[in-house]
Amino acid sequence: MADVALFMADLALGLLLGCVFAVIAHGLNLIWGVAKVVNVAHGEFIMLGAYGAYFLNLWFGFNPLLSVPVDAAIGLAVGVGFYFGFLHRELRGKESMGLQSEMVTLVATFGLALFLINAVQALWTGNNVGIPWSPGVVLVGSIQLPLGGLYVAIMSVAIIGLSHVFLTKTYLGNAIRAYSQDIPATQLVGINPTFTAAVGTALGFCITMAGGALLTVWLPTGIFPAMGNLYAPISFVIVVLGGPGKMWGSLVGGLTLGVIINVGQLFVGSIALATAIGFLTLIPVLLLRPEGLLR
Amino acid sequence: MRLRGIRSFGPTLWGIALFLVVLAGTAPWIPVFLLTVLIQLLIFSTLAYSLNLITGLTGYVSFGHVVFMAFGAYALAFAVGTFHLHPVAGVALGIGGVTLRFRGVYFAIATLVVAVAASYIVLEIKELGDGQGIILNIGFEPLSWFYTIWVILAIEVILTYWITHGRIGYGVRSIKSDEDAAKALGVNAARVKLFLYALSGLFAGGAGGVYAWTASGVFPQAFDLTFSLQMLAMIVIGGMGTLLGPLIGAVAVYIPSYIFLTVLIGFQFIIIGIVVTLIALFVPEGIVGSLRKYIPELRGILE
Amino acid sequence: MTRVLDVADVHKYFGGVRAVQGVSLKVQEGQVVGLIGPNGSGKTTLLNLIAGVEKPTKGAISWDGQRIDRWPAHRIVGQGIAKTHQIPKPFLTMTCRENVAVAMMFGNHAQRESSKALEEAAHMLALVGLGRKADVMSSKLTVQERKRLEFARVLGTGARIVLLDEIFAGLSPEELRDAMNLFERVQKEIGFGALVVEHVMRAVLTLSEHVIVIEEGMKIAEGSPRAVVEDPAVIEAYLGTEAVHAAP
Repeated sequence: MADVALFMADLALGLLLGCVFAVIAHGLNLIWGVAKVVNVAHGEFIMLGAYGAYFLNLWFGFNPLLSVPVDAAIGLAVGVGFYFGFLHRELRGKESMGLQSEMVTLVATFGLALFLINAVQALWTGNNVGIPWSPGVVLVGSIQLPLGGLYVAIMSVAIIGLSHVFLTKTYLGNAIRAYSQDIPATQLVGINPTFTAAVGTALGFCITMAGGALLTVWLPTGIFPAMGNLYAPISFVIVVLGGPGKMWGSLVGGLTLGVIINVGQLFVGSIALATAIGFLTLIPVLLLRPEGLLR
Repeated sequence: MRLRGIRSFGPTLWGIALFLVVLAGTAPWIPVFLLTVLIQLLIFSTLAYSLNLITGLTGYVSFGHVVFMAFGAYALAFAVGTFHLHPVAGVALGIGGVTLRFRGVYFAIATLVVAVAASYIVLEIKELGDGQGIILNIGFEPLSWFYTIWVILAIEVILTYWITHGRIGYGVRSIKSDEDAAKALGVNAARVKLFLYALSGLFAGGAGGVYAWTASGVFPQAFDLTFSLQMLAMIVIGGMGTLLGPLIGAVAVYIPSYIFLTVLIGFQFIIIGIVVTLIALFVPEGIVGSLRKYIPELRGILE
Repeated sequence: MTRVLDVADVHKYFGGVRAVQGVSLKVQEGQVVGLIGPNGSGKTTLLNLIAGVEKPTKGAISWDGQRIDRWPAHRIVGQGIAKTHQIPKPFLTMTCRENVAVAMMFGNHAQRESSKALEEAAHMLALVGLGRKADVMSSKLTVQERKRLEFARVLGTGARIVLLDEIFAGLSPEELRDAMNLFERVQKEIGFGALVVEHVMRAVLTLSEHVIVIEEGMKIAEGSPRAVVEDPAVIEAYLGTEAVHAAP
């Protein structure tokens, strides 16, 4: 029946899209877990990652997959800068950020967001741009899957998997996890808190910008300065759905949201409405199961 | 004149009152183009005071306040000629009732997400312009606009004064300082927060309504998060939770935007963004707060 | 007719941990009841249950005949039962006077005019010996002064039953003597009932008319201070033989 086929197709697309959503949320998850702060400008760094991929394509002909390592490297540098610019003052020597510091960071990062959106707009105009890369489709059963979407989905899962390996199997990774749980304890075991937090933050931004590059595959004409206003809430909702600080939570949350949005539109008629509903799932999850859906 | 529970008015309130009275008295003689600027300034001030009621006083950062402004604008456009403040109040209570259960960061995110979701939903509703906006065929009446927003702002300022000086003010300060300790002393934190949030939403809606009236219509841009960001900018720059702060913040944010108007409007936001970031990091008390902090003589007068 | 706080067979489980198991006790308005026991025996949890910070898993708590165990904390305060914190939590951005004024405006006392509350707060501060610090920022107080402020605050709510969590801890012998005198004087003057959780034996055994001993969430003894202190079960669980000399 046509409906089932449509449902399956949307489901598959939702899952593919969800993988990329997972990556852009994963960076936020890391920063949130490490520094216990929410970067309001998160969406803007996704946007910068997307623009990065766009320009790499424009100047050098890189396809989005190739842009990922470059964006990731830039993200690392940006992350370190962000840590020392915004977080170091508030975190230094304290067990966790107080309410006042939390507020300060929220407002400061929102100032940053405002600045970034308008700076980009001034530099590169507000026109929508995109990357013309279409490697075609592949047939899975009776469903047509976009190869571009498939490639970035695979890469997304790989990135999340790699970060999981890093965080659990390497010394530095474990130090970061320890830091996110108990700052004084990490000091007592001889781990340098500043270095650890800086690396954790850098990693978060690295993944965020890489995610921005991967996202461009789904946005043939959808790169514009204020795009963060859509992807930031998406990231926040995903982190809450999956559980803040839970590493595989990003994937669970991302897939869930991707499916809700893509399949939901079949039921409510428009993708905007499905997105709205997807967003609003944040509320019941926060109320009833604030640790997230995962375990 | 005496308000229940307060002994006398402070100098700052008199100062603002004087300013408002002078404006009201001279309004009919102010040249039209200047008047429209003043009207927009008053609208911005109303928005700033409204956010001040929740974010300034309690420290709960609401990113989603634009939603009330937009609702007010849409409500007005939908029922031309009457200010449907009641639906806005209902919306505010609804949103507040849910989001205020969350603390700190989660509250901020929840308000952001709700605002974005609300924008998507409203833009889907056919009766509300079906995503294209609603255009009104009403006249150019700057004086009516002026006095309407003037009244809204005046009520707001008096309310802010009453709240900060009266019993509720102490309740709010205690919540901001240590919410659990406040509850242990009998402060019904949930009710206080909800009251302030509903009030702030109400006034933001009122400002939105007047805005739609002056613009002869409302468009989807009404939901643009930039409004929320501007509101935050105004109270951060002016001084959160203060009486004069929102007004100063509104002047600081709006006047330059008028000057920069067409050519450099994006540029203005770049500067606001930088200014807000720097102030949040280094001068979180804002202008009024800093003046009070570093010039002790002013503490009795400036608030 | 004095009102009674009635804790009836109350249980509190946190997952698998049984913090409180079937504890019953009564505190009358005007009566000082001591609550002692080893660390981790559930004393603070019990106070939290009465104050409404936690809800009992089983059992009932009543005040003046009315069930309060499902009520939110602020409502319980409004009815006249208030608790101090083990580590004082003053409102650091406010002066001592303002701290107490908040209690007066929102507690059982319900003074609605802020200016009157500020005046009355000064009287309360004088009563606990902090009169000269009324307009000092609470952040500038020493730990001992903060404990007094905490006490003044809880009294400021107008509570008729006061739940005190280790208020005599960490005091030097002179400070302890002053604190005990202060407590006795204030308690006689205001006439509140108190449930006093303490480790400082001298304080709780001297000031209480009635003592309850808790171990591992259960009541193991109850009676006059002397009787409790000589109870072999209590000595074994908690006191050791030296404490026999601490009671009057």
